Amino acid sequence: MNNEKRLYVHPGPVRVWHWVNALGFVILILTGFQIRFADILNIMPLQDAITIHNYVGFTLIGNYFIWLIYYLSTGKIKIYILDVRTLVPMAIKQMLYYGYGIFRGDENPHHMTPDNKFNALQQQAYAAIMLIFLPAQMLSGVFLWKVKGYSDYIHLLGGIKTIDTIHVILFFFFGSFVMIHCYLATLGHTPLAHFKAMFTGYEDH
Amino acid sequence: MKKMTRLTKCYGLFFLFLCFLWPSAGLAIENSECMDCHSDESLTKECTDNILQTSITESLYVDEDKFNHSVHNINGITCIDCHTDIEELNWDEELPHKMYLEPVVCTTCHEEEGEAYKKSVHMEILKKGITMRCYACHGYHYVEYSETATVAERGNNYCLKCHNPYQYHEWLPAKEAHFSMVECVVCHSPEVPNKIHLNFIDLVSNKLYTSNEILDALGVDYDEFMPLLDTNKDGIINSSELENLALMLRLKNIHAVFHVELLAELLPIAHEVKRGTAEQDCVKCHSANSTYFDSVSILMTRDDGTIDRYEVDRAVLESYNLSHFYLMSGTRVKLLDKIGFLLLAGGACGALGHLTIRIFTIPIRRKRKTDKK
Repeated sequence: MNNEKRLYVHPGPVRVWHWVNALGFVILILTGFQIRFADILNIMPLQDAITIHNYVGFTLIGNYFIWLIYYLSTGKIKIYILDVRTLVPMAIKQMLYYGYGIFRGDENPHHMTPDNKFNALQQQAYAAIMLIFLPAQMLSGVFLWKVKGYSDYIHLLGGIKTIDTIHVILFFFFGSFVMIHCYLATLGHTPLAHFKAMFTGYEDH
Repeated sequence: MKKMTRLTKCYGLFFLFLCFLWPSAGLAIENSECMDCHSDESLTKECTDNILQTSITESLYVDEDKFNHSVHNINGITCIDCHTDIEELNWDEELPHKMYLEPVVCTTCHEEEGEAYKKSVHMEILKKGITMRCYACHGYHYVEYSETATVAERGNNYCLKCHNPYQYHEWLPAKEAHFSMVECVVCHSPEVPNKIHLNFIDLVSNKLYTSNEILDALGVDYDEFMPLLDTNKDGIINSSELENLALMLRLKNIHAVFHVELLAELLPIAHEVKRGTAEQDCVKCHSANSTYFDSVSILMTRDDGTIDRYEVDRAVLESYNLSHFYLMSGTRVKLLDKIGFLLLAGGACGALGHLTIRIFTIPIRRKRKTDKK
């Protein structure tokens, strides 16, 4: 194997964070379905689903802070910061690639480097997910975990149904995201290339 | 004059005759006679008539004002109707009746409650030497109508006097939420029908509005309340009618939201709390079709203590009009599920569609690769 063609794009802490997050997401989505549709689904008893959901939820909140501290302390957080000057043309270019070029076998317009591993679309999506959607999901989850304890904040934000609406819409969004994310991960130079990279840290270039 | 005297004698004799036939008619003890002594706040006795049968000093003071508001006084029950072993008062003695009265037997009137209680865990503790009489929970002289009582009031007045719910219920998630919104009896006496009450609460002061406050703000009488709300005249308050009510109150500077509680109907069977039969199947309640939400109502207490119950469409529980109430799974907003499934279907279809096109376009890519070479 030619090592010169390999780029180290996923450092150890990021890989650990990613796979813990991935496993957590699957568990949260499954238990989330059981909790939301307790009268229809019977995967596990409701109280067990809630207990697991709570424990895994808090684990992922901790995991989020591992990610945040790592990215802030290393300055790598800038890979999530959008460059408004190039954002729109790059995003259009990337959309054209995914919607047309990829089927023809065109080259990906984005060339991954350790400091610029996301294409314009990924950058936007992950910035929104990591900096808006995940915090919103975590916060709404904590509120739902202790409804009485946080009742003042819940009332301030429009009531428990509003909090639940945020949590549920994001839950479905993340369910959809996991499917699309897994599919997009097959778009490497081989279908398993990106999966392997997330284990080894090295992306073939 | 003679005629008058004869008449008086006749009536007097007739009265004496009546008294002879029915002694209590002539000797009926008025509450006021009892209150001659029992209005004294320092009046006490030593007794062992308590749950642990230990000797304690018990106050014999009766707050007349509070007693007058009690359900028993409202229904014309007098002191001696319960304290039946007081047949007469001997005012020549310092203590005009016997020193130790028999315990009041509530089941003389409350037969069904008594029968249900006999089968309950609270009767079982007699085997451990603990006697639990009705008034251990219900109190003595100040029993009030409790239909409109909140979960907190019912809990504090009854179960929480002895039980600390946090010592048990290890298995129960969101304990605080359950204990504050669901009456103990709902789970611990699952045979009892349940009902949902909607109260008006001011979130800033955390105070429940009284019926009078709401009616005063709306500028209507008790009898005008339902006609004002029920614009479609079907006798049920639906979502939009409830929204109108909130709006009308807001216009009157009452920023109340609906506080929702799950309570048990006040039926005799509610006394039949048994060991090991408490409902632990969460899905019984946390289900969109749960029978627990069949009865939803707003209660208004009239000045005379009577209660008007206004039926509310159970669909309001799933609406954003009750934005401060959500019972997981049970009162979920169905629209969110539809949006959610669209999101999931969109994700799945997007991925599958893209994959399908990728598969169908393999020959194009192969050809271009060969051409390049």
